Parts: sequence; C-alpha cells; structure tokens
Amino acid sequence: MIAQEAQYRNWMVAALMGDASAYRMLLGGLTRHLRSYYARRLDPAAAEDAVQETLIAIHTRRASYDPALPFTAWVYGIARYKLIDEYRRHKRRATVPLDEAGDLFGHDEAQEAIARRDVVKLLEKLPPAKRQLVKDIKLDGVSVAEAAKRTGMSESAVKVTVHRALKSLGEDLRAKDMSDGEGRNADR
Amino acid sequence: MRTDDLIADLSSRLEPSRPSALTQVLALAVLAGFVGSTILMLSVLGLRHDFTRAIVSFGMWTKLVYTFAIAVFAFWLVERAGRPGADTAQPARILVLPIFAIALLAAAQLLAPGADVRHLILGYSSRVCAFLVTFTSLPTMAATFWGLRRMAPTRLTLAGLGAGLFAGATGAFVYSFHCTESSAPFIGIWYSLGILLSAAIGGFLGPRLLRW
Repeated sequence: MIAQEAQYRNWMVAALMGDASAYRMLLGGLTRHLRSYYARRLDPAAAEDAVQETLIAIHTRRASYDPALPFTAWVYGIARYKLIDEYRRHKRRATVPLDEAGDLFGHDEAQEAIARRDVVKLLEKLPPAKRQLVKDIKLDGVSVAEAAKRTGMSESAVKVTVHRALKSLGEDLRAKDMSDGEGRNADR
Repeated sequence: MRTDDLIADLSSRLEPSRPSALTQVLALAVLAGFVGSTILMLSVLGLRHDFTRAIVSFGMWTKLVYTFAIAVFAFWLVERAGRPGADTAQPARILVLPIFAIALLAAAQLLAPGADVRHLILGYSSRVCAFLVTFTSLPTMAATFWGLRRMAPTRLTLAGLGAGLFAGATGAFVYSFHCTESSAPFIGIWYSLGILLSAAIGGFLGPRLLRW
C-alpha cells in the first residue's frame, strides 16, 4: 500500500462531492509527484507540459475514478498514459515499462530539493540575466513564450540563450569532473 | 501558464460529479447498441420462422446463455478498461468459464452414440454464421466505443478488444433469434468465431478511436 493513498483518496472523494479546497490540496500534492516522475523521463520543458496535461486530464476525467478502487493506481494510470502519449508525439519508443504506482508516489520534489540546491549553486556561475532565464524556464516551469514576453526577447532568442547557457554549464561540469578524476589518479 | 495558476483555475471550476454516472452512460450506450443490433437483425435478416416453437428449445437456450454470459463478462471488462488503474485481469479470466462450458457441452453432443458429427459441426449455415454475427454486432460496437470514449481508457488495444468482444457477444445473442442452428459444436465454433472477429476489429480500432 502506498503511503499517501488514504490522504489522497479522502481529498479526491471530497473533491468529487465539490470540495474545492480539498481538490486544490490534492492537485498541489500530486503535482510534486508528477514533476518528479516526468523529470526523470522527459526533458524539462516537456516534463512541465506533461505535468499540466496530466492535471487537466485528472480534472476532465475525474468521474472515471471509482472510489472503490485505489486512487494512487488511478493517478498512475493517467500519468503513464500521458507519458506514452508524449513519447508517441516525439516518435520516441512507444512502450513504457510497466512499473508500478509506487514509482510515481515513491518520489517527490522534497528529495529533489537537495539536488535543486546544487543546481541553484551551479547556476550562480551564469551572468544574472541568463541565470534568471534558465531558472524560470528549466526550474520554475515558465513557458518560453511567457519568458520572451517578460524579457522582451524573441522566443527563438530565449531558446538559444537557454540552450547555450546549459551547454556552457555542462562543459564546466565535465571539465570539473575530469580534473577531479585526474586528481584522484594522481593520488594513487 | 504556470502550474500553480492552472491548479487554482481547475479548483475554481470544480463541479461535483458522481462516479456512478459513467457506468450509467456506458450502460445507456450498450442498451442503445443492443436496440440497434436488434433492429438491424429484424430488418435485414428477419426473425426465424419457427420462433415460437424454438424459444422453448434447448438449442435456443444454449445460444442465449452462452452469448449472454460472454456479454456480461465483456461488459465488466469494458467498464474496468475505461477506468485508469482498474484491474482488468479478473473479468478477462472469468471469460474462460462460458467457453469451457460450451466446449464441454459440445464434446458431450459429439461423443453421444449415433451422433452425426459432420452435421453437428457444420449445420446448414457454417459459411455465413460468423460473418453475420459480426455484422449484427456493428451497431453495438459503435455504441460501445461511443460510451468508452467518455471514460478514460489508458490501454487502448485492450479497451477496444473488450468493446469488440462485448459487441460480438451481443451481436451473437441477437443473431440467435434469426439463426436456426441448435447444436453446441456449431455454436461453440461459429458463434465464437464471429465474436472473435468482432473482438479483433475492436482491438484494431481501439488505439485509433479511443485516444484522448
């Protein structure tokens, strides 16, 4: 049994009867699991889109939840379906291993907060304008169009800037790894 | 749109919904399909001429019970397949029961002393039976797909197979009122073949018609 089952199920049952605040808490809680689930399987922009699409699917298809059945399995069924949909759209592999609902609910953002702190530290190497852009789009789920509007840049310029910034960070990391590696070898 | 805004937006548009509503929609759809298949059978094929005599015969009831049992279990399968995360193995497994029963009955009739094996198997209409069963199932197929589209099937081939199986069994049930065959081997082979053909069509259509 998944730990969050009882809590989420109660919220869902309340939501089905029209309790908006229970519904908001439910969606907020699910978002944390969904972000983590998709982040491990899709690139960041696609992952946030998939989170939103799944939330919309949960909303529009909520009547398909039968309170006699496990709620976490229901959400997982939808999340997995949306993942396959995403893969199909990008003509990637069309099958998803049949892992279990535990995989969705075994992770959430709290564990990833630590990883996120590391990322934020890494981002400090970037100039402020670029850093803000990368943070907005890759970490906070702001759309490219919205970021473009905020900064006054064109959408393609935003994409190129983010892409280059990530590439330079990647090179930094690799260079650091390599020098670490050499350092260890030298110790031996 | 920011995900937080989306959540706020969705919560503000929440309306109460009853979980049983969808089962009712599906039940209504299959009822409409059943009526459609019946009208199709009556208008194109016609009721069997000796209907009043046949309705009390063992052969007639073999057909009705066999196809009705498959239809009930297949409906259960469709209802489960339309709900994400629901277990579909149970209704799928129980489908072997009617098949096992008809096989047993067919074996008994074939092995009875003096049985005309060839006639028991081929009857008068073995060439057209399977196709006419599938033909009769088409209105039910359309209605079941319509109902399923309002649910949330996540395994589309399985959902389509279930819908086709249900439509095939319903079509076979309705076709029983036209067909004059009554032997269990005939029903076990040709009716089942018609139902399977319908299921295959459903399985093929599932991924094409049920995406959401």
